[in-house]
Amino acid sequence: MSEVGESLIAFIFGSIVGLLVQRSRFCNTAALRDAILFSSYRNTKAMLVAMMVLTFGFTLFMTFGEGKPMAFDVGLNTFAGLFIFGVGMVLAGACTVSTWVKAGEGNIGAVWALIFTFVGMFLFSLVWSVNYWPPAPSAMTGQANLQTLQLGFANASTLQDKLGIPAVFFGLIQVGVLYAIYRAILRKEARQTGDQNPALGCSVGTICPPSETAAAE
Amino acid sequence: MNFIYMFATITTTLFRDMIKLCSCLQETVWCCRAHLGEHKVMEFFKKTLDPVIALTAIAVLDIFLFLIVGAWTVGGGETMMTGLIAEFFMGEDLKRLPFWNLVFVPDAGYWKIYISLGMLFGAFVGAKLSNEFYLRFPRRVSEWVMITIGGLFMGIGIRLAFVCNVSTFFGLAPQMNMGGYLAVSGIVAGAWVGSMVYKKVLEG
Repeated sequence: MSEVGESLIAFIFGSIVGLLVQRSRFCNTAALRDAILFSSYRNTKAMLVAMMVLTFGFTLFMTFGEGKPMAFDVGLNTFAGLFIFGVGMVLAGACTVSTWVKAGEGNIGAVWALIFTFVGMFLFSLVWSVNYWPPAPSAMTGQANLQTLQLGFANASTLQDKLGIPAVFFGLIQVGVLYAIYRAILRKEARQTGDQNPALGCSVGTICPPSETAAAE
Repeated sequence: MNFIYMFATITTTLFRDMIKLCSCLQETVWCCRAHLGEHKVMEFFKKTLDPVIALTAIAVLDIFLFLIVGAWTVGGGETMMTGLIAEFFMGEDLKRLPFWNLVFVPDAGYWKIYISLGMLFGAFVGAKLSNEFYLRFPRRVSEWVMITIGGLFMGIGIRLAFVCNVSTFFGLAPQMNMGGYLAVSGIVAGAWVGSMVYKKVLEG
């Protein structure tokens, strides 16, 4: 497919996502933060359902060698990077999706967060240009390499190749695990109802407010 | 003299047309609102949508996107935008940084950029149609500081890991990529630490 075609499809997809996220006030940051701080799972449940649908869909098509899974080496940098990201997203009160969506709603805080995400990326490019770590895509081997703290590459397709069991089988196991987490949340929520209202968070530093306040609006 | 006259005519015509176009657009919006007022479609812009429904719809669309170009992601597009902005300001000097030659070569035709721009556009349309668009500014200095630090951390984290939160939860983990499990553990641990800091700020 041509670059223009790909970009057009991406734009249409993005527009629908933006509209749906704006209308549903879904926030990935809130999915984690509200679960940790306020035992409120409105966004966490949505995230888990999406992950179940995606796990089944992706692994089903990967069984037949279809689709374009992400392929690059992972390692310590994957854990460390997302750890830093996790701290940052709670502080900013928004993740990559909500910064774009909230910017579209006219939230200047979200625009500010976006600008500094760009600045952060540029600062990282300066450091990378000195130490060349994590390895550039062209230097990735797909194998574990302890010197560069890399574990290589493995996903449902590589499992299928190695063990001869269809990828969708592993996918269904993962769907089961995600469903168990989802059920546990539902049970916890059932226990919560009847209790007094959970603590309401104020909106310090939040682009995505805690969901109780969002629901009250 | 003739030139000035021509310039003035063109400017006034353009200006008049612009005003016409604006009022026409405004009328269309009013017209749509009036006609769709009682219609079911407009209900979509009045009530908050259940996030489970929204995310299920996004997941189904994401499977199609996965088959055509690749799963939903945001970080890669943002990095490319960073590169393009830096190239705009620095020009050829940017090439002196190996990162922009070896990892990301600035290219405006990179599809991931348009997912982000699409989200901005879609959210704008949604907010406009539901009368939720207005400029909001963080009120306290502490908010500005937290957003600044948070933004920087997000940018650095995405580049260090090669993935963002979207690829973590809606790309790598559903593809059962080993990195997905590393990334999910990382983001949950990070969110926990962040939440503790956030709580301190909330209480302090």
